[in-house]
Amino acid sequence: MTARALKSSFNAKPGVGSPAGAFSGVLLVLPILLTMGSLVFYPLVSTAWDSLHRVDPLQAGTPFVGLSNYVRMFGDREVGQAWRNTFEFVGIAVAVETVLGVAAAALINQVKIGRQWILAAVVLPWALPGVVSGVIWQWIYAPGAGLLNGVLMAMGFDFENHLWFNDSTSAMLLVSVVHIWRMMPLTIVIVLAAMQSIPLDLYEAARMDGASRLGMFRTITLPLVRGAIAVAMTNSTVSAFNLFDEAFVLVRNSLETRPILIQIYLEAFKKLHFSYGMALSLVVTLVSLLVSLVYVLRIHRNTSLD
Amino acid sequence: MKQPWHVRILTWSGIGVLLLWSLVPIYWTLASSLTATTEFNVRPVHFYPHQPTFEHFGRLLGILDGRMGGVDVAGEFRLALLNSMLTSGAATIVCVLMSILAAYAFARLEFPGRQLLFYAVVATLAVPGYAVLIPLFRLMIALKQIDAYLGVTLIYVSAFLPLSLWLLKGVFDALPKSLEEAARMDGAGHMTILFMIIVPIAAPGITAAAILTFLGAWGQYIVPLIFSPKATKPLTVLIPEFAGKNFVDYGLIMAAGSIAIVVPCLLVIFLNRYLIAGLLAGSSK
Repeated sequence: MTARALKSSFNAKPGVGSPAGAFSGVLLVLPILLTMGSLVFYPLVSTAWDSLHRVDPLQAGTPFVGLSNYVRMFGDREVGQAWRNTFEFVGIAVAVETVLGVAAAALINQVKIGRQWILAAVVLPWALPGVVSGVIWQWIYAPGAGLLNGVLMAMGFDFENHLWFNDSTSAMLLVSVVHIWRMMPLTIVIVLAAMQSIPLDLYEAARMDGASRLGMFRTITLPLVRGAIAVAMTNSTVSAFNLFDEAFVLVRNSLETRPILIQIYLEAFKKLHFSYGMALSLVVTLVSLLVSLVYVLRIHRNTSLD
Repeated sequence: MKQPWHVRILTWSGIGVLLLWSLVPIYWTLASSLTATTEFNVRPVHFYPHQPTFEHFGRLLGILDGRMGGVDVAGEFRLALLNSMLTSGAATIVCVLMSILAAYAFARLEFPGRQLLFYAVVATLAVPGYAVLIPLFRLMIALKQIDAYLGVTLIYVSAFLPLSLWLLKGVFDALPKSLEEAARMDGAGHMTILFMIIVPIAAPGITAAAILTFLGAWGQYIVPLIFSPKATKPLTVLIPEFAGKNFVDYGLIMAAGSIAIVVPCLLVIFLNRYLIAGLLAGSSK
């Protein structure tokens, strides 16, 4: 195709449905389709296909192995532990982000002055690179000169050289804290936007009827932001399933605390078990989508009953 | 409606706690980056640097002797900073350009498979990156694009295209068609209409898409960890390595961290409005 033909098709008079319009339409979406096709769709199909084969750079050939990569997961102790850890992370993160995120949104919604600046400060942790946040919190948790132990010492507790990551329960909690620090802003932004779209005269009318602040929050605000809370919970769930950066910095490869994504990374890129890693990543994708679907359906059913 | 004083006190103390929770870690990063190494040994812990110093930044940027245990920290850091800027900047430009063209086609032109193609691209928002990483790794080895700028930039582009396309298609759909029709009467072609009329009006939406793409690429970790191991290594891969060495120099690490978070901080402070609009549009897909 010559440059002249390209140029004339771009500058052809747009006629909806005309061959020229169709031609430029296809031409304009071509870059995106090529990129997505080669870097997302092809690898996705390849993940599914290769997970049924033995793909391992250390072994010759890629024989068909059926579902054996999937069956192997059930007997894999490390994978089982990583799943349990991931579900704990998801449970903690989604619960805390939703409860405190809705509370924080309600607080910011009360404020009239400087709301834009408060929101900017609140969003900031979300915008930082996850690993850098991990490194920052690692320094806060550090024994000796770390901020957390320093504050506890200043309050009169003897925590100077306390090692938080020696105990897997406290390690799980502290990794969750970092994840919540990063992801709660998203919940706040989504729920706050829904709160701001509630018409003020609803509250005015309820006040005439003598409703209390807490009563108005329960009977007006919460029901009207339920859809937004579902959206926020879906986001929280997916990002907690995808926990990698903070955990990789803070707990490295420790088996007791590693989430499923670190397990996949180790299987695929350290042990070079490619096809097993692919089977695992497909299962994680499906599970995280299914769990989010549960909220969406529940909320949908609840709101359509009202 | 006027709030009673006890409600206002409660609200503002809540806001105070929220601000402390969000900002103290960032404050601590900046404070530590200015604290002299010897001051870290003082107990009780100093909550602010008593003798602020720029020694860590000096070592990091190569103004002071930047070698640490035989490693050229300053050289590595400068390269990583450059790599982060190059790949995130290039990914943002390519991603936003591609999605402007495609969003225009999806919003304004008729062509076979229009709906299907649009939803196919947007549906990949639900596909997490790790589901395609392993085949991508094999693909990039075959194409000799491991540790190359082109490979990692294109992966970022493919990761952020769906969100950017979704945002811009929504923005373009909402624009009135009257201006374009007037230009069309005057004989303007698609490119003229798109870049002279639509893009200027849609600038806030395009800014939102650009910020989200840039922040996403700037913060990427697992992708460059696999695809940019050496020459193209960005800040996000380099900084945790500082902490993994057998001597842990927290002043230096926090100085590096401060530089890595300056760019996102500035974007949030100055372009907060666009960012929030983008986040909202992106979350309700």
